Amino acid sequence: MMADVSAPKSSDQLSVRSLVHLARFAVPFTWHFLGVVALVIVFNTTSVLQPYLVKLAIDNDIASKSFHGLEVIAVVYVSIVIIGALANYTQVVLLQYAGQSIIQRIRMALFRHIESQSMAFFDKNAIGRLVTNVSNDTETVSQFFTQFFLSVVRDGLSVVMVIFAMFRLNAGVAWQCMVIVPVIFIISFAFRKRLRVSYQTARTRLSSVVAFLAENLAGIRIIQIFHQERRQANAFLTLNDRHRQANVKSYMTSVMFNRSLDFLGNVSVAAIVYVGGLRVLHGAMEFGTLYAFISYIRQFFQPINALTQQWNNLQSSSVSADRIGRVLAVEPLVTDNKDLVNSLSDEEVRGAVEFQDVCFSYKPGEPVLTDISFRVRPGEFVGFVGPTGAGKSSIMALLTRFYDPVSGVILLDGEDIKSFLQTDLHRHIGIVQQEMFLFTGSVKDNIRLFRDDISDETVVESAKVVGAHEMIMRLPRGYETHLVGKGSNLSTGERQLLGFARIVALNPKVLILDEATANLDSQTESLVQKGLTAVAKNRTTLVIAHRLSTIRHADMIYVLSKGRIVERGNHEELVSAQGLYADLYQKSGIEFEMEQTAHP
Amino acid sequence: MNQPQRLLQSYLMRHKWSYLLSLLSILCAQIVQVQYPNLLGRYTDLLQRHKVTALVTLHYSLWLLLVGLGYVILFGIGQFRNGQLGRRFEFEMRDALFKHWETLSTAYFRRRSIGDLLNHAMSDVQTVREIMSMGLNQMTTAVSLLGSALVMTLTTISVRLTLYAIIPLLLVPVIILVIGPRIRKASRKVQEGLSDMAELTEESLSAIRLIKATANENIEASRFQKRVDTILHRQVSMIRLFALFQAVFPFVESLAFCIVLLYGGYMAIHGNIQLGGFVAFTLYLGMLVQPLQQIGFVINNWQRASASMTRLSILMSEMPDIVDPELPLSIDKIQGDIRVDIPRYQYADGIVPVLEDVSFSIDKGHTLGIVGRTGSGKTTLVNLLPRIFDPPAGSVFIDGHDVRSLRLEVLRDGIAYVPQDGFLFSDTVRENIGFSVENATLEDIEQAAKDACVYDDVVDFTDGFETLIGERGVALSGGQKQRTSIARAFLKDAPILIMDDSLSAVDMNTEKRIIEHIRHVREGKTTLIIAHRLSAVRHADLIIVLDKGKIVEQGTHDELLKQGGIYADMFKLQQEGEGVVV
Repeated sequence: MMADVSAPKSSDQLSVRSLVHLARFAVPFTWHFLGVVALVIVFNTTSVLQPYLVKLAIDNDIASKSFHGLEVIAVVYVSIVIIGALANYTQVVLLQYAGQSIIQRIRMALFRHIESQSMAFFDKNAIGRLVTNVSNDTETVSQFFTQFFLSVVRDGLSVVMVIFAMFRLNAGVAWQCMVIVPVIFIISFAFRKRLRVSYQTARTRLSSVVAFLAENLAGIRIIQIFHQERRQANAFLTLNDRHRQANVKSYMTSVMFNRSLDFLGNVSVAAIVYVGGLRVLHGAMEFGTLYAFISYIRQFFQPINALTQQWNNLQSSSVSADRIGRVLAVEPLVTDNKDLVNSLSDEEVRGAVEFQDVCFSYKPGEPVLTDISFRVRPGEFVGFVGPTGAGKSSIMALLTRFYDPVSGVILLDGEDIKSFLQTDLHRHIGIVQQEMFLFTGSVKDNIRLFRDDISDETVVESAKVVGAHEMIMRLPRGYETHLVGKGSNLSTGERQLLGFARIVALNPKVLILDEATANLDSQTESLVQKGLTAVAKNRTTLVIAHRLSTIRHADMIYVLSKGRIVERGNHEELVSAQGLYADLYQKSGIEFEMEQTAHP
Repeated sequence: MNQPQRLLQSYLMRHKWSYLLSLLSILCAQIVQVQYPNLLGRYTDLLQRHKVTALVTLHYSLWLLLVGLGYVILFGIGQFRNGQLGRRFEFEMRDALFKHWETLSTAYFRRRSIGDLLNHAMSDVQTVREIMSMGLNQMTTAVSLLGSALVMTLTTISVRLTLYAIIPLLLVPVIILVIGPRIRKASRKVQEGLSDMAELTEESLSAIRLIKATANENIEASRFQKRVDTILHRQVSMIRLFALFQAVFPFVESLAFCIVLLYGGYMAIHGNIQLGGFVAFTLYLGMLVQPLQQIGFVINNWQRASASMTRLSILMSEMPDIVDPELPLSIDKIQGDIRVDIPRYQYADGIVPVLEDVSFSIDKGHTLGIVGRTGSGKTTLVNLLPRIFDPPAGSVFIDGHDVRSLRLEVLRDGIAYVPQDGFLFSDTVRENIGFSVENATLEDIEQAAKDACVYDDVVDFTDGFETLIGERGVALSGGQKQRTSIARAFLKDAPILIMDDSLSAVDMNTEKRIIEHIRHVREGKTTLIIAHRLSAVRHADLIIVLDKGKIVEQGTHDELLKQGGIYADMFKLQQEGEGVVV
């Protein structure tokens, strides 16, 4: 069963495991990260040395009134600061470079992975969500590799180094200072869950606000026509207010948490003054040392505060990493079989298609196709008709391996299509869909699909074959005309023609045509019809027909009903057989008669 | 004065006492905080002069504790209050935006992308909120801390030391103002790269069938790679600036520190200041640097926020173009006679007329069929009736009154509408069908669902009428959506019903049943049906055929067939072709 990657998981189970899983993308940047650690150590050392230098200044130079000593210290101090600044700069650049490169790789991997999925995956996962995975989730995860990593290394090391410095200065006082460590843990632990819960509540409510807005702006006309402005405004008010409350609560929690740590810091300074002051009083310690301790205690709390700020970062990164991980974990259902590769060259393919007892279902227990068998000779033109849901499109989806059949075999030139590489198969079998998709780019690139191996001449040639050339030349910049995504600057008919030109340029041996149902006007229709005839020439053509006129002259027509082929033959044979086809053929007439008797 | 600024101002006025309180508490917090180095300095001096006893030490520690406590409480209150007020502003601003949008016409939404509007409602409002809470916090903190710290160093330590030490610090805001905008520009570049990539991803994934069918995966991947590489490239340029930013502050601070060390140490050696003064000054230094840094940041953010504010102003100043007439007719209910006499209509942003010389009338209780190709103006025509788009004055009449002279509420209460796409909200089926009728009974809703032939579908859902539909619930098929929105319109039971090609995704048999029901349910009321399949309008009292915005034929089904024109052709074609069920 295919996993629906958008399925939300209980937030409590979210762990950093998914982040660790993504860490494999970080492996090539090990040296960068080690470099960052080294630079952080340099930078931190320079920071930790500063109070110590002041201590020296106080205890040695000022006490002994030696200005020369002060000068020396000032020079040392400035050098240290310069080294620190350089280390800091290099570290930021190095780390961000590594982090962004990792994201670049994750994005590429994700995109390729999504591309390799079978259609079943796209049936289950909304494109909007996948786009979010590729753009936003990766962005969020990058914070883990940059900010979070840095904070742990830099702030973690700071804490350690400050502690080390304190012990070097005066182990006795340092031990007493260590009392605050468990207190910090207790405070953090007490707030941890509340912080997480309130943060998540706020996020969830934010997404409801966004979803509501998006939907209502799209449907504003409905609201206005039904005169429900007040109702929707009230609904928005509620959502909006719930979002506000969650935020205030979340903010309250974090203010309390940060101020508690702040307070603890202040208590510590007061305590150190008391403890250290008494020592200085008894001559057990120099005053400069007390000064250094006060500075260190303050330096100690800074990184801890910074570390706790990373909590939300870790939260959102792991949520995002989890989403990415779930996409990456989905194995493509349709894969190439590397062992039996069949490499018929483009010229060798003749275009014979055969289905042998093919059964298929999207969901177990709900068969879509049952025992489908037929044979199409090279160059033949065959039609498939039948009511919606009869399985016409599914047959085509199997032939292109968008899905694999549950049982049975599909053959191209007598070879199982599974024995072809998918890329080869798709070169041999082309499909023109109802919905003509256009990319943002020039007309030319839309015909050749951005491929370098299709020359400009081929593009023009193909357009001429299907009768699209004149239409294209009428566009402002001909073949260079820029089309916007979704092709809204072309009419349906024009888009169809481009689609035909595209298929001619790609030149497959077998062509599948999902005939457009849209009501084209008669002029466009005749254009499209001509294009279609041109495309079908010299190719095996399988048409899903919505109008009988298209397939009237087909070599063979298969009539489908409920996933089975119920009739086959050419138009005349089927009409005289008086079966479903004949019914379909005459249906409109019959219908009108019935209606007339119902309403005289 | 534009609206959001007025909103901002009135908000500040309404909450002036709250703001005063939070500002005061932050100010007090900083005044308390600067006592910290002072206490430590005085204690140092006492230590130096050997005047310290255990009791004095305890005394000072307790004072330090008290200062710490006072600061934490005062600052916490101010910070929280500001944050809370900022959130309330955000809430009110979004509310005002949504209500404002509700008054704007479809013409406006045709021009704007929803993603863009969403961005304004979320990001722009957030930016303004941040400057109002975080920015205000930082600014108050910075100014009061800077002020108090300067007062303390100037009065308790040394004027000259203070002046010397502050020279390098003045670089801080300058650096921020120089590099800040460049970082912003670089970050905008990154953002553009990101949205470029997102767009390509969306496009590629939407076209996945095509890509797979043409074995074009590698080409797409390389197109994607190009976008990703651009992002990386731009990120790195931004990071360079950012790193400079990060490295330069500690450096400037250290320069100042160096001056203190040398000059302050010199003064201490020569007895111009006490050692305690020197110690205190090193602590004050941080209190001078930090505010200057913050002021720079707030100025930068302020620029961003004012850009957001301007965008919001533009949004809010958009005047609703379809509004109640100044002197509305005192009519409370419309009957359903329709007369249309449009010499010419074109969209405000269009160049060619969409409708020309369109004249017809139908009496209350009759059914009008409208047919014609895509783009012939059918939808435009029916949209003029409820004033989704405004018709020219004196061209569309209901019960003999110009629709523009009726109150909007009266007009729209009198019209039920089924959109082509069957737009529904992500809510329960019940709420959707009962959308326009407050407290509709379940029976009424069920009856409407039955009439729209969607009842059987709904009861098959696990939660029946309480089933959630949309993103978080059941995904309805196109036909189910259309039928549900037909039920919604039936329930409204208005004198006029407009169906804008709303049977296109419904199969022929169901269509026939729904048409049956319409004739029954709409007995005595006016109905307008746009259709592609002629079977849906065959029974109409009047059928008009539109072509390129003009009425080319009109009459009943039989009359039109006899005329042997476009309609007759269409009919013949459909009889032949559409025999195969689509």
